[in-house]
Amino acid sequence: MKIAVALKQVPTRDALLRLSESKSWIEERDVSFEVNEPDAYALEEALQLKEKHGGEVVVCSLGPPRVQQAIKEALAKGADRAIHFEDTQFTQLDANGTATVLSKVLESERPDLVLTGLQSDDLGYAQTGVILAERLGYPHATIVMEIQIDGEKLRVKRELEAGWFQWVSMPLPALLTIQSGINKPRYASLRGIMQAKSKPISKVTAGELGLGSEDLSPKQNIVRLYVPERKSNTEFLQGSAQQMAAQLVDKLRNEARVL
Amino acid sequence: MTISRETLEADVVIVGAGPAGLACALRLAQLGADSKGRGAASSLDPENVYVLEKAAEIGAHCLSGAVLDPRSLAELIPDFLKAGAPLTPVSKDSVHYFTRHRSFRLPLTPPFLRNHGNYVVSLNRLAKWLGQKTEQAGVSLFAGFAATELLVEDGRVVGVRTDDKGIDRKGKPKSNYQPGYDLRAKVVVLAEGVRGSLTKQLIKQFGLEAGNNPQTYAVGVKELWEIPQGRLRAGEVIHTAGWPLASRQFGGGFLYGLSEKEVSLGLVAGLDYEDPRFDSQEAFQRFKTHPFVRKLLEGGQMIRYGAKAIPEGGYFSLLPTAVEGALTIGDTAGFLNSQRLKGIHLAIKTGMLAAETIFEAHSADDFSLARLSQFEKRWRESWVHQELWKVRNYHQGFEGGFWQGILHTALQMVTGGRGLRARYPSEPGHLRLKKLSEALPRNPELKADGKLTFDKLHDIYHSGTAHEEDQPPHLRIGDFDICNDRCTREYGNPCQHFCPASVYEMETSPDGSRRLKLNPSNCVHCKTCDIMDPYQIIDWVCPEGGGGPRFEGL
Ligand SMILES: Cc1cc2nc3c(=O)[nH]c(=O)nc-3n(C[C@H](O)[C@H](O)[C@H](O)COP(=O)(O)OP(=O)(O)OC[C@H]3O[C@@H](n4cnc5c(N)ncnc54)[C@H](O)[C@@H]3O)c2cc1C
Repeated sequence: MKIAVALKQVPTRDALLRLSESKSWIEERDVSFEVNEPDAYALEEALQLKEKHGGEVVVCSLGPPRVQQAIKEALAKGADRAIHFEDTQFTQLDANGTATVLSKVLESERPDLVLTGLQSDDLGYAQTGVILAERLGYPHATIVMEIQIDGEKLRVKRELEAGWFQWVSMPLPALLTIQSGINKPRYASLRGIMQAKSKPISKVTAGELGLGSEDLSPKQNIVRLYVPERKSNTEFLQGSAQQMAAQLVDKLRNEARVL
Repeated sequence: MTISRETLEADVVIVGAGPAGLACALRLAQLGADSKGRGAASSLDPENVYVLEKAAEIGAHCLSGAVLDPRSLAELIPDFLKAGAPLTPVSKDSVHYFTRHRSFRLPLTPPFLRNHGNYVVSLNRLAKWLGQKTEQAGVSLFAGFAATELLVEDGRVVGVRTDDKGIDRKGKPKSNYQPGYDLRAKVVVLAEGVRGSLTKQLIKQFGLEAGNNPQTYAVGVKELWEIPQGRLRAGEVIHTAGWPLASRQFGGGFLYGLSEKEVSLGLVAGLDYEDPRFDSQEAFQRFKTHPFVRKLLEGGQMIRYGAKAIPEGGYFSLLPTAVEGALTIGDTAGFLNSQRLKGIHLAIKTGMLAAETIFEAHSADDFSLARLSQFEKRWRESWVHQELWKVRNYHQGFEGGFWQGILHTALQMVTGGRGLRARYPSEPGHLRLKKLSEALPRNPELKADGKLTFDKLHDIYHSGTAHEEDQPPHLRIGDFDICNDRCTREYGNPCQHFCPASVYEMETSPDGSRRLKLNPSNCVHCKTCDIMDPYQIIDWVCPEGGGGPRFEGL
């Protein structure tokens, strides 16, 4: 079974971010990057499926030279090879652009399964995987918490709201977007890092894919990025203890959404 | 549980990817490439040089001032400027003496603080850059792997063990458990920086240090700020003495212009102070309220925070640098010129000299102690010895306080470093800590304003520190009863104050008793606790590799 995993490199969680001059992105100097969290789970899932069913894991990542670090980490954990989409034209693509680029190579790779993270920690669109499935003509399921494969058949457990789950059956090939927590990602081992040095990483540019700037022109733009303005708000609930408790529950459930 | 570990064989294992470890690795790769170029048959393959770094990324645990003396960098990478080293030439130098409200500029900068020809750097950025060069040269760099134990057989260091990953708080393996490796090597190079944990093991097992002065330390607490343009020149270097440190305290402040908009500033305080309630992070916050500093920072933004200890003892506190199977280089051995507050150039140089020694040993296939001791000979014959010999009594001269120190320094300068005697003795700094009952009344606590001054938690957040939460504590306390009873009475638990990252907290339990609570995930790996604890019962060991601060830009 051939499994492709789309990996994105994002600023580390809790990274201290400064806005760039243009106020539409962050200052990338002095920021450290890591593999987007749900993507790390997607990779682990792919590696475990490979261990069970055999086959190959191909990692795809789009971005500047720094993403080599994320790619190497994936290879060190056990992926077999990688495709690095590197081109100045690929900077700051929207989800549609990223999916377009990825689909160009995956159309010819024809993997049995494509795994992506549910969403990226930086932009949080949750669209790249879905659009990619559409472009490839694959069925897809999102927010996946468990995968069962039986021959040509795929059964997956999706997370719904409020503690509900849903089981879905679908044919292969398919695309799944993976939720964090589906497994416990492994560590890269020393030996794995040594072996990764000789694993192939192929580089792909826009020209090689026959993509011009029209194909990649964004359908979505970031207009302005800003640090959330802190507003502290105190509200007093009125009524009897019972009424206030009911109001509080209502607010916690529907406004704060913590219940 | 018996753990089955995989064993890997390397030629050289280097512990720590700071300037010392990276320079050693890069020099080994250069020498290997040179001799291969000359057609040598069995050359050292850089791939068999393993560098272990506990930080998730090279440079993430590197924190310094810093003003770099480029002497050794120029020897290692002659075209370092063209090759893109992240450096800002020093443009201006001054020294100021602070009182609470005023500052007096020294009319002349003393020669050892003149920095013409030097560079202002962020060691984090420099190490990252050196790391890339080292990796390109073919060395095997492993970030996110800590060396947790020296492997010693029959009185010889034969390798190191790497950290076990995926162990929970109680010491049980988790589902992603991965045992550490036993890395065996012909020679192990310890480049752990100040107060290395394997170096501690080495000192103990090989009975090192005998006959010398003990090592003495300082801690440096710093922040990186973005300030409005026009207040400080790029490359401007300012040193301060005096307030907020007491006159009996060793140390001073620094402000370095990394660019016109970025200033690195910090306070260095000797870890041989007397007041058990002294808190370096708080003293540094006070430092920023001095009118001179405030004027520079006002309206700016704090970007990063961090802290790290510094070995100050100098020449007479150096460890023996070669033992059976191992060499020590850089800060971990004590190579630092405390008069100039400079160690990076010595770290690089000792790394290079160690590499040259190892390369010869490898060519001769002889890693005996006699051969490895050539390293000791090499640095003694180099400018490293000259530089450290001249200031051999500097730090000890300050043990009587600032003004005595100034007198000793002047005297030592005219006597070629000797001063009043051939070797000024010293004692471990923690022994000078006074009991609470003898301490002077304390300054009122500083109220952080959240703009210029910050409380510890705010600062820690800006160190980018993160650890896997579910792992055993990496601060091993020998006896909690001492903490909860004797220390409370005698010293008032100074750990709460000397830790610049709030790892140590005294918690009041429901029955009113106070107990020590550890927050290991706050730890910025500065090593102050291991050094300053008056009972010496804190043992700092490496947490799971990859955890710790992210000192970007520091
Ligand atoms: C506040 C401050 C200001 C300073 N100012 C200056 C200055 O202006 N100029 C100057 O030249 N010097 C200055 N110094 C000193 C200088 O930073 C040090 O001398 C220098 O960093 C020493 O280099 P090193 O490679 O020996 O150690 P480090 O730079 O400390 O590097 C050691 C590395 O080893 C890693 N490590 C440690 N133990 C392990 C382990 N067991 N396993 C794996 N990895 C490990 C650490 O994470 C770290 O990355 C300053 C220091 C401080 C703290």
